[in-house]
Amino acid sequence: MIGVVARRLLSAVPVLLLVSLITFGMMRLIPGDPAAAIAGLSATPQQVQQIRQDLGLDQPFLTQLLHWYGGLLQGDLGRSILLGRGVFASVMERLPVTLALSAYALVLTLLIGLLAGILAALKQNTVIDQLAMAFAMIGISLPSFFLGLVMIIVFAVHLGWLPTGGYIPLTEDPWGWFRTSTMPAVSLALLQAGLLARITRSTMLEVMRQDYIRTARAKGLSQRSIIFRHALSNAMIPITTVVGIIVSLLISGAVVTEAIFSIPGIGQLLTQAVLNRDYPMVQGGLLLVTGFLVLVNIGIDVLYAFLDPRVRYE
Amino acid sequence: MLMQRSILASCGLAAAIALPLSPAAAAPFSCPSRGGDLVFGQEANVNSLDQMTSSTISTRNIAMNIYESLVTRDENNKVIAELAESVEEAPDRLSYTFRLRQGIGFHNGKPMTSADVAASFDRYKRIGLQRSTLDNVQGWEAPDAATFVIRMARVQPTFLEALSSFSVPIVIIPAEHKDDPPQQLRPVGTGPFRIAEFVPGSHAKLVRYDGYKPNTAYEERTGFGGYKAACLDSVTFRIVTEASARVAGLETGELQGVEDVPTKSVEALKKDSNVTILPLENWWIQIALPNTAQAPTSDLNFRKAVQAAIGAEDVMDAATDGNYRLNVGFQYPNQPTYTDAGKETYNINDPEKAAALLKQSGYKGEPITILTNRDYPAMYNAALVMQQQLQAAGINAQLRVVDWPTSVQMSQKVNSTEWHFFHSGWGTQPALGALATMQFLASPGANYRPRDDKGDPDVEAAWRDMNDLPTEAERNAAFARMQKLVLERAYAYPFGSLTKVQAVRANVKNFKPFRIPRFSNVWIAK
Amino acid sequence: MSETGALPLEVDLAGPAAEPKRRSPAWATLRRLFRHRLFVTGLILFGIIAVMGALAPWITTANPNRLAMRNKFLPPGGDYILGTDNFGRSLWSRTVWGAQLSVIIGLSVVALNAVFGTLIGALAGYFRRVDNLLMRINDALMAFPAILLAIGVTAMLGPSTLNVILALGIVYIPRTARIVRASVIVLREMEYVQAAVAAGAGHWRILRHHILPNAMAPMIVQLSFLFAYAVLSEATLSFLGLGAVPPTPTWGNIMAEGRDFMRDAPWIICIPGVALMITVLGLNMLGDGLRDVLDPRLRIQQ
Repeated sequence: MIGVVARRLLSAVPVLLLVSLITFGMMRLIPGDPAAAIAGLSATPQQVQQIRQDLGLDQPFLTQLLHWYGGLLQGDLGRSILLGRGVFASVMERLPVTLALSAYALVLTLLIGLLAGILAALKQNTVIDQLAMAFAMIGISLPSFFLGLVMIIVFAVHLGWLPTGGYIPLTEDPWGWFRTSTMPAVSLALLQAGLLARITRSTMLEVMRQDYIRTARAKGLSQRSIIFRHALSNAMIPITTVVGIIVSLLISGAVVTEAIFSIPGIGQLLTQAVLNRDYPMVQGGLLLVTGFLVLVNIGIDVLYAFLDPRVRYE
Repeated sequence: MLMQRSILASCGLAAAIALPLSPAAAAPFSCPSRGGDLVFGQEANVNSLDQMTSSTISTRNIAMNIYESLVTRDENNKVIAELAESVEEAPDRLSYTFRLRQGIGFHNGKPMTSADVAASFDRYKRIGLQRSTLDNVQGWEAPDAATFVIRMARVQPTFLEALSSFSVPIVIIPAEHKDDPPQQLRPVGTGPFRIAEFVPGSHAKLVRYDGYKPNTAYEERTGFGGYKAACLDSVTFRIVTEASARVAGLETGELQGVEDVPTKSVEALKKDSNVTILPLENWWIQIALPNTAQAPTSDLNFRKAVQAAIGAEDVMDAATDGNYRLNVGFQYPNQPTYTDAGKETYNINDPEKAAALLKQSGYKGEPITILTNRDYPAMYNAALVMQQQLQAAGINAQLRVVDWPTSVQMSQKVNSTEWHFFHSGWGTQPALGALATMQFLASPGANYRPRDDKGDPDVEAAWRDMNDLPTEAERNAAFARMQKLVLERAYAYPFGSLTKVQAVRANVKNFKPFRIPRFSNVWIAK
Repeated sequence: MSETGALPLEVDLAGPAAEPKRRSPAWATLRRLFRHRLFVTGLILFGIIAVMGALAPWITTANPNRLAMRNKFLPPGGDYILGTDNFGRSLWSRTVWGAQLSVIIGLSVVALNAVFGTLIGALAGYFRRVDNLLMRINDALMAFPAILLAIGVTAMLGPSTLNVILALGIVYIPRTARIVRASVIVLREMEYVQAAVAAGAGHWRILRHHILPNAMAPMIVQLSFLFAYAVLSEATLSFLGLGAVPPTPTWGNIMAEGRDFMRDAPWIICIPGVALMITVLGLNMLGDGLRDVLDPRLRIQQ
């Protein structure tokens, strides 16, 4: 098992290398430079030129690339131009925000998605099934940025129940965190809950048609025991895969959601970095984020093998 | 001595010096009520509070409540002393002697001395964004703890005006912070508030600095200086990028103050008795600049045709959703250097005249690129209307919408063939005065992008006069000449001045609209 | 655009058909499709939008880009059936033209994927020698958070309709390729393919006649969902200011411009938002129907 994990980790290295090369090349091909972004609106051309010189943006492409990999080898991800701080420190500062929000969204996703999926499967072809599936269908069809904006209009502007945006850390004020995180978490979760509900329903239905469930039923086991002991535990396997995919979706989701709700997470950090041409931040930040996602996927695979004894690596 | 006096008077420093002579007016400001946390909804993200290396408005909004400078500007943009008690110009105009106010301490508890001032200037000279301010300076010294002397390499009549600029001010920091790298200055200043917490992208919390010593030369806050006191316990700047969210936050009381209220929301907010609307007039000059390095914008008749085609009302209406003032030129009517020289070029709105000029220019329907960005909606909106007006005059105008950094880079390229008109907004510089504004139109870097970056000699001559003529009257006359030249030769199309609306809850008192949200002398009525 | 990642999910489970299907006459499949309630509902919903887009020049009178400052912020009803935006432009015109652009962009992304996704997937799945190289590049592109990759690519190429199509192509082709590859790998080992190899058929012939036709069903299902994601992603990119150049009337552009006024003129963002939802909903239902009918392994008794 350890060997397998090690091999998976090793195979991630060329992927991350490619990621960093693509990022580096892409950022240098984007027109515009960080000087104009740092200078802001009211700067004079001289000020912009001054920043450009200070940043040493006139070095050749290859020199910059070698410099970046040289730093990387020494474990140095570089320093953000815009924030003036280390890339690693900046990412680590923002990561808890996105993780807390994602965890909240994941809990909502699991609660709503599993519940709706199981109910729909059990009450197949009833009104409950249809309602659950209609909900799931709407969930996967609602653009999350539109949902976010509509929620702001309804719950913050007109009803005044929830704050319009901003973020209060969980460690500082749990109730404040709950109030500021609920709308973003819901707008992240709805799509994923829809996905999960659909998958849960179809997997449950498939599992329940299997011979061993029929046998269990024939043996007169209670419906409840069948569902929880047999059907659900077998359905967990594809569901775990889905959860893995959902986790990797959260960063993408965070980009839009954090922008709309002014949440200082990793999504905002990276979007701002791309838009402001903060080269070191984009290069280092994306490498960390993709590295994290690769780790999550390996973790999910291990969990998958653990849940399903039939899955064994060659 | 006579000389010194006149110069100082002209710079508006007279107030600081003449204070002992001024009639003992009412007692200085004192807080009618103390305490409370004020949450201010700020539009734009803040990345760094390093006031020496950042020129963004969002940084200044927060940092200028923390830091102070030797000299700054008052409510009417006159030069005043802040951390200095007095400023003395030598008769040969080759040195300036600053006497520092006594008993001032930094937020870290250390007293401020001339060594700190010298260290601040050292850092600014090394990495400060506007370090060209110190180009004519030979050096500085601190003969004693309360005296700071700047020695000039050559006479610069406008030196104090430049030194007091709040664009990227030379703020005074503790000497031990002088080697802090760019963007990483530790936020310790001498202002009435000190930083308690700063999370880039989220919020900054300032708390009252109990050791603050107000400038007793004044009775009230004025501009960036004056008699300042922190009545509030704390101020939280929260980044709220959605305009609707800011407005809603203000209505519910979640925010006590906001900036940049959309005009459309102002109508509704006016009916809310819990909210005070504070329009900040003359926030920026909406402007478009031609690229004179390439045809057909290199042709005077073509540029004048465009000038004739523009209707400023519609452009400004779109840019601001209705909250604007028509304005000629590069200064505002309330400023001392304001002039309407060249007004016959403004707001002509005559497609037929434009078509006639177009014919003279030999324009044959080549596509014309209007470069703008969507990061600043006002610029995008103005460009959209300009496009329609040019099309109505028979010009094949196309929009090129990129993001702000790209548009700046494109517009600054020498002899660019990618664009013909570039949309911008001039905010801080016009507010600082004619000198700060017109540097946009002087080479190198003149914004009308002359061929090979060599500016129109007549314009350049006027610019030199604006800087070098000995008296203020002469320099102002040079400004009027430069503005007239620029407008008549259509090197810039200033559309008018944009109003930015700030708003606070009705119980927030003495919050006056200004270029930064100032929180000294602001209190919450109980 | 969190929607993007949903892609592998739908199809990982769809997987390759377990066994080569007997070719049923096309009309029988069609008849089954048109008896499928979800499919028909989806077709109607999407059809409304598509027809609106196709007829845009004839069913709108106002030029979608014509400014009329005096008519700004008119609510729906009255002279303008869907109201006007902050420039007094007709929202009906802009939304209808936006529909056209959404459908064109969606179709183009689908076409790009159908061609390049199939090509890359088939090559990687069939020829083991190129598999490793192609899949590593694929993995790297898929390792990026999809939206950031799209933002980066559009920022690099500059905002335009064509570049949005390219950016979405770069984001989605690796995902499509991976699915095709999975089908091809399974089919390659099938007895009837091995028999064709033994009979001396060329690689190209085997791919074209024996493998790809049988990989079509999951492909079609995949592409119908892809259509939905492409429309959504395009709207998201435009909303973020990285889509087609404004004032081009795309739904994302309209919503982005209406964002500052959502408190006092909510119709500006709600009208294109609802149109977007109807489109995606329709396409998802269509995809569900296609999957049920074309890919029986996944059909669950209705």
